[in-house]
Order: sequence, then C-alpha cells, then structure tokens
Amino acid sequence: MYQYTSFDRQFVKQRAAQYRDQLERNLAGTLGDDEFRPLRLQNGWYVQRHAPMLRVAVPYGDLTSRQMRTFAKIAREYDRGYAHLTTRQNVQFNWIPLDRSADVMDVLAEADLHGIQTSGNCIRNTTTDCFAGIAPDEIVDPRPYCEVLRQWSTLHPEFAFLPRKFKIAVSGAAEDRAATAWHDIGLHLLKNDAGEVGFKVLVGGGMGRTPVVGTVIREFLPWQQILVFIEAIVRVYNRHGRRDNMYKARIKILVKAEGPKFIADVEEEFKNILEHDVDGAAHLIPQAELDRVARSFVVPQGVAPLVSQFHVPADAPVAFKRWVERNVHPHKVSGYRAVTLSLKRAGQAPGDATDTQFEQAADLADRFSHGEIRVSHDQNLVLPWVREDELFALWEAAKSSSFASPNIGLLTDMINCPGGDFCALANARSIPIAAAIADRFADLDELYDIGDIDLHMSGCINSCGHHHSGHIGILGVDKDGKEWYQISLGGSDGSRISGDATPGKVIGPSFAADEVPDVIEAVIETYRHQRAANELFIDTVKRVGLDAFKSAANAARRSTAKAA
Amino acid sequence: MKFIDTHHDQWHTITGEDGPVVTLTPTAYSLLTFAQWHAIRAQWPQHLPVGVSFGNDEEIESLEEDLPRLSLVALHFPKWVDGRAYSQARILRSRYRFPGEVRATGEVLVDMMALLKRTGFDAVVLRADQDRAAAERALTFFAGHYQGDVEDNRPIFARSGT
Repeated sequence: MYQYTSFDRQFVKQRAAQYRDQLERNLAGTLGDDEFRPLRLQNGWYVQRHAPMLRVAVPYGDLTSRQMRTFAKIAREYDRGYAHLTTRQNVQFNWIPLDRSADVMDVLAEADLHGIQTSGNCIRNTTTDCFAGIAPDEIVDPRPYCEVLRQWSTLHPEFAFLPRKFKIAVSGAAEDRAATAWHDIGLHLLKNDAGEVGFKVLVGGGMGRTPVVGTVIREFLPWQQILVFIEAIVRVYNRHGRRDNMYKARIKILVKAEGPKFIADVEEEFKNILEHDVDGAAHLIPQAELDRVARSFVVPQGVAPLVSQFHVPADAPVAFKRWVERNVHPHKVSGYRAVTLSLKRAGQAPGDATDTQFEQAADLADRFSHGEIRVSHDQNLVLPWVREDELFALWEAAKSSSFASPNIGLLTDMINCPGGDFCALANARSIPIAAAIADRFADLDELYDIGDIDLHMSGCINSCGHHHSGHIGILGVDKDGKEWYQISLGGSDGSRISGDATPGKVIGPSFAADEVPDVIEAVIETYRHQRAANELFIDTVKRVGLDAFKSAANAARRSTAKAA
Repeated sequence: MKFIDTHHDQWHTITGEDGPVVTLTPTAYSLLTFAQWHAIRAQWPQHLPVGVSFGNDEEIESLEEDLPRLSLVALHFPKWVDGRAYSQARILRSRYRFPGEVRATGEVLVDMMALLKRTGFDAVVLRADQDRAAAERALTFFAGHYQGDVEDNRPIFARSGT
C-alpha cells in the first residue's frame, strides 16, 4: 500500500485547515452559501436531501484496516451508524451536520484520509482494478501510476474549475475491471513488442444523458509521458469545453463535436508543452520516481508463494462451496486468493455497511489480509492477501458479519446508487427497488441458474449507478412528480463477458415502481427460455434481440398497461 | 501578489458612452480591450506603457506577437468558477515567457488566490466585497504542492531530488 510521506500527511492537514477557514467564514456570513458551495464540493461535501453528504476519497480503492476503523468511528460518532461505498471506490456518509464538517476533516486527516476533489468540476479520484497487484491476468500493476496521478491531480491550480467533473480510470490487466471506456480518460497499461510499458489512452467516455464510449486517442503512450499527455488533454478541455450548458459540458461532448480536431489539438498542446514551455519536460516521470512510488506497492512482508493445494472438501457445507465459487478469486501469488466481502445482502442497501461492519471488516483485514482492504467498483470490499488454508476460517468469520453472501457477479450483486432516499438529485428511489428485486431472487439455486449478470440501477440520469452499462439497466425517472423506471438491456462495462463497452437499449416506456420486480422476472424468464446451453444472459440478449424481452416486459405491466 | 485598489491604479481603461471607442489617443498606462489594441497598435508609440484586457473565450495564441509591446495583460473571470483564464495565464508565463503584469479581473474571490498565484497571476482586482486579509491568509495554507506550477515548474519528485 502507498505509505504517506511527511509531505502527504502535512498536505492533508493543511487542506483540513484551509477548509476550516472556509467553513468558519461561511458560518460567520462573510462567505456566502453560493460561493462556499464549490469549495465544500471540492472537499466532498454535498448538501443532500436530509443533511450534507460527505464523500471521502479512497485513492484507487485501497485502504488500511486503520482507515476502515476511522470510517467506523465517523459513522458512529458523527453519522447514524452507517456509510455507503460508491462505484468510484469512495465512501459516503449521509447525516453529518455541516457545522461538524471541519472536525470530521481533522479526524480523517489523522488517518491519512480526506475528501479532496471527490466532487466539483475538477479531476476526481482516480479509480482502478480492485485486484490491482494481485490479479493473475495483470500485465502491469496500475497502482504506482495511479498514485503518481493522484499526486499530480491533487489541487492542480489550473484545473480546479473545469467545465464539468473529470474522471480517470486505470486498468493494467487483460480484463478491464475499472470500466475505463466509460471515463473521461481511460488508461490501459500494456507492453509493446519491445516489452516497454505504456498506456493506451481513451478519452471522452461518460454516462449521464448522453452515454458515450471513450475514443482511443493514443494506442501506445510511453508511461513517462502520461502526466504531460493528460495535462494536454485537460488543458484543451478547460479551454474549449462547453460552459453554456451543464448537460453538454463533459469532455465527451467536446470530443464528439470536434472529432479529429480534438485529437490534433491535444497532440499539438502535448508537443508545445514539451518543446516550448519553461521546463516543459519537468513532468516526465523519471524511472527513479516510479521506483520510489512502486516500493509502496510490493507484496506485504510475510506473503510468500505456497504450494497451492486448495480444494473444497466433498463434505464441506454447500454454502462454503458456493462462496468459494463466487467470492474467492485467483491470485498471482501461489497459495493465496483474493476474497470479496459481499455488501449485497438482504436487509441492507447495496454497498452499505454499518459502523460495526466497518470494524469487523477491519478485523478481517488484520486477521486474514495483512491489514489491507479494497473497495471494488461493484461496491463490495475485497481482501487481497488471503491464504488458501485460511479460507474456511475467513468464510466463517465473514458469515457472522453478513459479508458472506455467495453472490458476486450474480443478479443480486447489483450496482446501486443511494437514490431518492438520500440524494437530492435523484428522480426516484433505488434502494426499495433493489430490495424488492433481491427479495424476488432470494433463492440461491435460481440465482446460480441465472448465472453471471450485471444489474445496474441509477435513481436519475446522472448515472451514479451505471445503469447504461448494465446487462439490465434500471433508471429512475420523474413524471408528474411520481417515480417511474426505465429499463434497458444489453449494456456493457467493457468486461470480457460483457463485450465491448456499450450503452443498453431501452425496452419501452417506463414502468411503475411496483411493476419493476415483475418486469425483471419476466426478462429473466425470457432468457431462461431462450438461452442456448451455457449461454450467459448478455449473450442471449445479443443473439435473440430485444423483441422477445420487450413483449415479456410489456406483459408484466399493470398500471402502465394502457400507456404502453 | 499585488492587490489593486482601483481608485489608486495607474492603469486606466478607455470607454466611450456606448462602450469601447475605436478611435483613441495613445496615453501611458492605457488598459485597452483587445479590439481597441488591434485598432491602434500600428500607431502606438514604442515604450508607451500599454496593457490589454483579454476575454477568457478568446484564443490566447492570438496575443503572442503583441506580448513584447505589452506591460500588462488583464485576464477576466466573468464567473469565478469559470477556470479558463488559469490556462491562459499559464500559457502566457510558461510558453510565451511574458514578463509583464498578469492581472485577474472580474469575479475575483478570496479563495482563488492560491490558484491565481500558481498559474502566473501577480496582481488581482478583488471583487469589491472581498476581504483583503482573508485573501492574504488564503495564500498561506499550503507549504508546498505536488505538481509544478508557474512559481516552480518542478513537481515534487523533481524538487526532492529523488
């Protein structure tokens, strides 16, 4: 894990002090609410439906058990006893009064945590593969590059007020587990024929009202140049991105509107920086710096390859077998596995954890994973360093914290935003819909029979729940002050089973809330009738097309039957 | 950072009753719009101090050839959350090595100070309601930064010598 230097630690404390000054001026009335707003946003403070929401940055999803305990403490002492994990690997609190916000920033800073650039029209927290550094299919470990990017993007003076938010995701494995094509910049680490490391650079992906998949702007950029190249991209965007309409302000719109000219502008800017700017090459990353950062991301002391002889005994409990099948993942170190602690279980909102569960996850990380734990893009927790011979003990411990639902990758492992229960932007609630679907598909045999499927749900078009990229996408919409749900099929986040990233297609007018579980069931039943042997849901959708699914979904309408 | 008191500023803008006038007489320390400057630059005497006020939606490249004759470039923030002028300032300093004054005008607020300073502004006209003491304090919170900027081009990794 990255080890904070004294500079990093000092920096976060200085940021907390700066925020306290801003908050105090706001409370004293010398900094108006409208002008305080962008400042608090860039520290992670939104004002939501009930209270401010705090989004804490988890750089590339990597946490220590100590930091998990800080989340537990904040949830317990400042919030109402729980927090939410996001698709961008961050952690959100919902109930902290704004006048205590500066105190919370101090508590976070004590644990090397902060909310820097987790919101606002700036470069957000860089995300990556939750199996970075441990995945057998990894080509290059993305974490050192993510950390270099974190440092470069943190309080970049030129890019604090971009036209709109700006998100970067990095993947270093054969499998893209970071939905890179859906980001403003998506980076794929790879090696060229000479074995040199570089990035394939995508630009202009994004969800929202206009879902767009990123365009490749460079097939191979030597890794040393990545900061300069991103600076060129963001500068062109800062100068030319639209600011007249917030719905057209993301870089994807600029890339689409300008096409090859955008790429030419970036390449020219890149060249200008290197050839004409004072010390233009200063941000080329020296090998020594990469090495210095990479030293933080070594295999933890005490982890050494073991003879892999793990197998599930024939007489093991079925639940353990299932857990091993779904929640235990291969590891590049022989004798080790990565384990997902599922935060998708009955009775709790997807991605939520209580203060006690944060403590318990921290304990599990200490006991089984060298004190390290990760937040996944799918809103679960991952223990990256678990010995195979401790899997059974971990499973038993995880069960008692409700972390052992053996459902990773299955229908109930859905991605879900907090929705209208919490979010001021949302048009509709997502948590009750998620609960109703989880209820409907509570039978594990059925879930296993349905197999791998991505169900993604957003409470509004801002797409925090990534509905565009779900094999099944559910989008909350508002009509006449009532909640409705639009359902799409065939979306992909760009993972191997899902195929090239693409937005799903809407299957008809929106449904009423109480119809949604029936519609999902009808869609699933259609799949089960139509599928070929061993065919995944997404492949059946691609093969047979939408019509069969549409008619099944329409047949499940009740109150919306007339409208349809 | 120089805080400009508009009542005691040696620079003056030239405006007519219906906005900027095109015909004007060169006087020292005129702060002209880019259009005014364009109209008169052929006649502007060498060494007579002149500045240009530049819109944040204009291409800063178009100012490049004029820079040797300018003592001041004023960059504008129509809204404080519109960050285009930061890039303009950065290019003026880093790319064109403009040595004159780069001044921030428009909606210039206390909490922009560090960004302005780091992207190359060396003078500000604070919005009338802004508190200068708070602006000066806003420049003091951070002892250092990660990435290079106009004040120090080197990022932290180049500074610490690793």
